[in-house]
Amino acid sequence: MTRHLCRRGADKRQAQKLVPVQHYANLCNSNSFREKNMSKDSQMRAAINQKLIEMGERERLKELLRTKLIECGWKDQLKAHCKDVIKEKGLEHVTVEDLVAEITPKGRALVPDSVKKELLQRIRAFLAQHSTL
Amino acid sequence: MNACPGPVRTGKQKKRFQLIPRLKTVCWFCPPVIYIDPPVSVVFPFSQMKMEDMSLSGLDNTKLEALAHDIYSELVEDACWGLCFEVHRAVKQGYFFLDETDQESMKDFEIVDQPGVDIFGQVYNQWKNKECVCPNCSRSIAASRFAPHLEKCLGMGRNSSRIANRRIASSNNMSKSESDQEDNDDINDNDWSYGAEKKAKKRKSDKNPNSPRRSKSLKHKNGEHSSGVTSDPYKYNYNSGISYETLGPEELRSLLTTQCGVVSEHTKKMCTRRSLRCPQHTDEQRRTVRVFLSGPSASTLPDPDTVAESEGFDASDGQSLIGRLQWDGSDISPSDSASSKASTNNSDSKRPKKKKKPSLGLGSGGGGGGGASSGGGGASGSSQGSLSLSNRKKKPKLPAPPTPSIYDDLN
Repeated sequence: MTRHLCRRGADKRQAQKLVPVQHYANLCNSNSFREKNMSKDSQMRAAINQKLIEMGERERLKELLRTKLIECGWKDQLKAHCKDVIKEKGLEHVTVEDLVAEITPKGRALVPDSVKKELLQRIRAFLAQHSTL
Repeated sequence: MNACPGPVRTGKQKKRFQLIPRLKTVCWFCPPVIYIDPPVSVVFPFSQMKMEDMSLSGLDNTKLEALAHDIYSELVEDACWGLCFEVHRAVKQGYFFLDETDQESMKDFEIVDQPGVDIFGQVYNQWKNKECVCPNCSRSIAASRFAPHLEKCLGMGRNSSRIANRRIASSNNMSKSESDQEDNDDINDNDWSYGAEKKAKKRKSDKNPNSPRRSKSLKHKNGEHSSGVTSDPYKYNYNSGISYETLGPEELRSLLTTQCGVVSEHTKKMCTRRSLRCPQHTDEQRRTVRVFLSGPSASTLPDPDTVAESEGFDASDGQSLIGRLQWDGSDISPSDSASSKASTNNSDSKRPKKKKKPSLGLGSGGGGGGGASSGGGGASGSSQGSLSLSNRKKKPKLPAPPTPSIYDDLN
């Protein structure tokens, strides 16, 4: 975990220097001059993600989502579901992959609309803010 | 400038055009070169910020919306993964199902909500738990009375030095009073005798001389008597005479050294005049009373210097005196005056010999007094062996043993 964190920190620090070069490489590789539309899309996504991480906005959003989900009982619901799954499969034979396969669709469906709306709102605000810069 | 007809601007482009005039003085309607053709090629040397800006600027709202949704679903997926890892770890560590309990065991721990009981369903007694056990005398005392009791019991505080002394005395004389148990029967109803103290303890009554309640009543009477040692208030009669039977030996001694103390024939109470020269009674009467109450050693009226002496007694002297007073007092009961005479005679006759027989064990106690007298003074000394040591010390101070004529007076 700590190693992971360190790496992430290092990434952040290096990001400032590396990104332009990476982009340059990406652009060259993707041959953006010819396939403008395709490359533009992926480019943009990468850039946005980079931005999200760099600004720390992604962490903030994650934290917000987590607290909201705990508040509204999403976590307890999913845990109950987990219990069913585990009992079904047997305590010894549970793998993370199984759990994820079982849980993720349900988790997506169970997110309350209010939470979803709030999160989307914040993401949009972020995008708008950084698209005008 | 206004004459130049510009292209129709929509969406993102509008913003860009708004920005530009502030940076450069360019024609509003003729966009600069860098924004027109493939932006990437031109922008490359610029910072990443500009590039991103550019890439975003190419988006319309639907794409932005799609992007936002992607980010959102990523976040939700993250949360799901987090939960999955958490649950998986809990399962593998074995604490996932810990909070699951069956209904049966839950019933045992239900919270009770009824008047009169606490949440565990136990009866809450307001007073039951408010008792402390005294570490010194190991009696249980109500918490509100515990501090005053400790003050008395441990021998600190205003009134307690006397009590502490008595405690020492009682612990020293305990063995003796045990041996004296048989003939202490007469005075066992006397609160202040140490033989009775054991029984009082058993009864757990408040007759124990050290109990706080008792001391309280003492405190009230302190104003009336300088000696301050009386038993319960109702033992006084109307003219504040004292019934000597209820007095402990120490109180008796202090009374006799400060007051007239002659016992009235009618009321059986003692005269409490604060003088040894009471005009109502004669010296002869006083002497008789002293002999009667405290044995022949106190037969003479204490004159000022002997009073001073008796004040100066140290603890061991006081104890021995207490012991002897008690011993004698126990025998002077109206029921068996004969044995009383014998035993007082005993204590008389043995006194000169005590030097040679210090502390010969406990013997058979006062009950064997009669037999001891037949065995001669020397043998009888053993019955009061515990007293002999301190008696030796005190003897020079005390007046010489009285002659038997005094006892004739008494009888």
